[in-house]
Amino acid sequence: MLGPKAGGLYRHQNIWTGLGFGIFLGFVAWLISHATLQGSNWGSDMVVTCTMVGWVLGFNIGMGTFNAPIRWMLGHDQTHEDELYAAGVGQGSSRYLKFCTDHKVVGTQYLVLVMVLFGVGGTLAMMIRTQLITPHSTFLDPQTYNSVVTIHGMVMIIATIIMVSGPFANFIMPIMIGAKDMAFPRLNAMSFWVVVSAVPCLLATFFLGGVNAGWTTYAPLSVQAPPAMDAFAITIIVFVVSVTIAGVNTLVTVATMRAKGMTMGRLPIFTWGAVVGGALGLYAMPAFLAVMTMMITDRATGTSFFVPEIGGSQWLYENIFWIMGHPEVYVILIPPVAAVLEIASTFARKPVFGYKVAIAGFVAIAALSIMVWAHHMFTTGWAPNLAAPFMLTTELISIPTGIIFLCTIGTMWKGSIWTRLPMYFVYLFVWNFIIGGVTGIYLSDVPADQFFHGDMFVTAHFHYTLLGGAMIGATAAVCYWFPKISGRMLNERIGKVAFWFIAIGIQVTYFGQFWEGFEGMARRVAQYNPKFEAANQMSTIGAYILMSGWLIFLYMMLHAWRRGKIAPANPWHAKTLEWKVPTPVPLENFLVDPVVTSDPYTYGEGVPDGQEVPEFAPVHEPEPELVPAGSAPPADAHEGGGTV
Amino acid sequence: MSVTTTEHDPIEPDGHDSDDDHGHHGHGPAVEGAENPGGEHETAFQRDQKERLLIWLLISGDALFLILEVFTWFYLRTLNTSGLWNGAACTKANPCTDGLGNPINGPITRADPKYAIIIAVLTVIAAGFVWTAESAAKRGAGKRSVSTHAGLSVLFVLAAVAMQIYQFQVLPFTTIDGAYASTYEFFMGSTLAHLILLAFLLIGLWSRAARGRYEGKTWYRVRVIRFFAVWIAVSTVVLVVVAALFY
Repeated sequence: MLGPKAGGLYRHQNIWTGLGFGIFLGFVAWLISHATLQGSNWGSDMVVTCTMVGWVLGFNIGMGTFNAPIRWMLGHDQTHEDELYAAGVGQGSSRYLKFCTDHKVVGTQYLVLVMVLFGVGGTLAMMIRTQLITPHSTFLDPQTYNSVVTIHGMVMIIATIIMVSGPFANFIMPIMIGAKDMAFPRLNAMSFWVVVSAVPCLLATFFLGGVNAGWTTYAPLSVQAPPAMDAFAITIIVFVVSVTIAGVNTLVTVATMRAKGMTMGRLPIFTWGAVVGGALGLYAMPAFLAVMTMMITDRATGTSFFVPEIGGSQWLYENIFWIMGHPEVYVILIPPVAAVLEIASTFARKPVFGYKVAIAGFVAIAALSIMVWAHHMFTTGWAPNLAAPFMLTTELISIPTGIIFLCTIGTMWKGSIWTRLPMYFVYLFVWNFIIGGVTGIYLSDVPADQFFHGDMFVTAHFHYTLLGGAMIGATAAVCYWFPKISGRMLNERIGKVAFWFIAIGIQVTYFGQFWEGFEGMARRVAQYNPKFEAANQMSTIGAYILMSGWLIFLYMMLHAWRRGKIAPANPWHAKTLEWKVPTPVPLENFLVDPVVTSDPYTYGEGVPDGQEVPEFAPVHEPEPELVPAGSAPPADAHEGGGTV
Repeated sequence: MSVTTTEHDPIEPDGHDSDDDHGHHGHGPAVEGAENPGGEHETAFQRDQKERLLIWLLISGDALFLILEVFTWFYLRTLNTSGLWNGAACTKANPCTDGLGNPINGPITRADPKYAIIIAVLTVIAAGFVWTAESAAKRGAGKRSVSTHAGLSVLFVLAAVAMQIYQFQVLPFTTIDGAYASTYEFFMGSTLAHLILLAFLLIGLWSRAARGRYEGKTWYRVRVIRFFAVWIAVSTVVLVVVAALFY
């Protein structure tokens, strides 16, 4: 039991004090900047920038993000009781609304945030598709439409970057490697609340004139955009801080916090995905920070980085943006692909096929992804002589990607597959990913790109990759790890209904967009030639089917979280460490410290003769009650069961 | 995955220093390199390992930012779009325009390099004092010695901050005067932000050293700050060299 003063200032801080301080400091910043700067050149931009910075600082002060650093600077330490309080001890569910250092709380907070962001981004997507159901729709005016497209894009990019590295690299990954927490729990909580403070800045853009420059916010269009662009840039800068902190924390955790015996060669494949994604993020994010900082100085102080008339260059923007932008695609993609391999192994009851090859594939993708950025600029006229080398590097990246795809197939090949809900989404991932991957090869080709660039074919391609691939992989991960996170089982019947809506919805929506692209319809247009109407109607109908699927999925999750069957510690009979701890997972995860003596995928292997393998934790699994009739695990699911 | 187990008390208070972000883990006795079979008590060696890796990763990210700054400088300088890298191509007969549409008829006055050089020297000296503070902590010279060196580093970094702010006031150009002016001021802004961050760390180092937090086996925490201080000094020097030599 903690004392009445445990936690100090943390006791009085929560999301409400965060909101209060944020609004207060934002208002003060607005008041001062409006009084002193409004009349000057670029006054509105400076006022919006100051207000957003005030909000972000105020929110984080109110949340307690800076408590520990300031105490550190003043020479004071957190007491042990303070640490326990910050970890959420004795606070029940209120800890989810506080600055909590327990990695499981942070992971759950991220999961909820990601769902909220997908809700926002999905709503905007439906507005786009509703607009496009007829050629001359007036559902949205063109200016609003452009803003909706831009913010849809950026909300989804933010959500997909954190959709796996947030919930699962925080909640699951430390347990997977036998750690008690992330290496730096306070930085971990900081990364979450900092990104939370960025979200209102992004949504504020709708009330500041809208950002109509597309998610890439190419200069000079973005330099000329309304003051909403300043809020957009602050959003990105704050987001970069969060992702950098989170990525570094992941890398340090895996490098230094592994259990005894958990060698790098024994790391679960998902951990490798989180590591490579984190490292790539560390490379990509400084470029995002640099380009958005220059953007905001162009707008708010009159610098000339991206304005050719006064000495700048829009190519500078495009280069730095895509130096970030293409690795960022793999920051999104690699962790869910690794999760898919993890899940495929569990349900095929086989080790990951080509484990080391798959890791090499991740590393090769990461390395190549930093050499392909200019394929986004084939049609801009920048350095035509470099088109061929960039085409080559882009096509090269399909090799490790293909190898990882084969590893996924090989893992399932001839396995006795136990087809539960996570596996449905693994199959869907495989289908979508091959379509997204193959269409990407067309776009890497310079002549083909001249034709396809800027049309709906590109839109369909990256939605197949990021939604059909990465997001479906993340959905599989949700289905797989939900019992460990929530302590409840998902209702598979509802889940399968959701699955079919989602699977069909994706194909109809994005095949419709391929069709639009082949016919030559441009992206980001609010109204179009009637000859594209049939393809657009197909895509919009698909989008409504898809949305229905996600709503059913959301219902399934919320229902399970409140009323789902209690989950056993290891409902999938998986071999990795997170399934060897009790559910709910205790503070610091392990009642006893694990010492790992084998690789993570010992399916089908019995206990070696003469070797006694003790039970890891006194967990009793009422599996028979929870496995529906007719879907029992294969006979070898328990082989080597003593090895837990 | 086969595992064996080692029992321990999952949470154990220790009352030792926790001046870093190690959250709710129990901190064991700080014995460098001690055996830690279960991992439940972090040794000084393990904490040092974590913090070193953290700081090196952050420095590597910051280094990429620095590279992009320098890239921007040379990219815009080489392109010299509209003759407005530094206005050398602008004449009365063929004027350029600044960010507000005013004519520019000749080269932009170059920034006096002495301010930037002074800032770099002050930062290098500050980093040097962090280094000597680390040495003092490492050899167990006592809290007065460590805090004196740390205090001197604070003085120098604050002087660098003040000088950087002063340089903004005395620049012969503003942000609207073309790409050279923009990039130069961007360098200065970046340097200022880094110096403020360094000042925060060094004030913490000083106040903690004065409380004897770096006595004994915890000297390595001064080293972690030294890594960052040296990095800031290096990056400041790089920006000064680029700005001074490549007008």
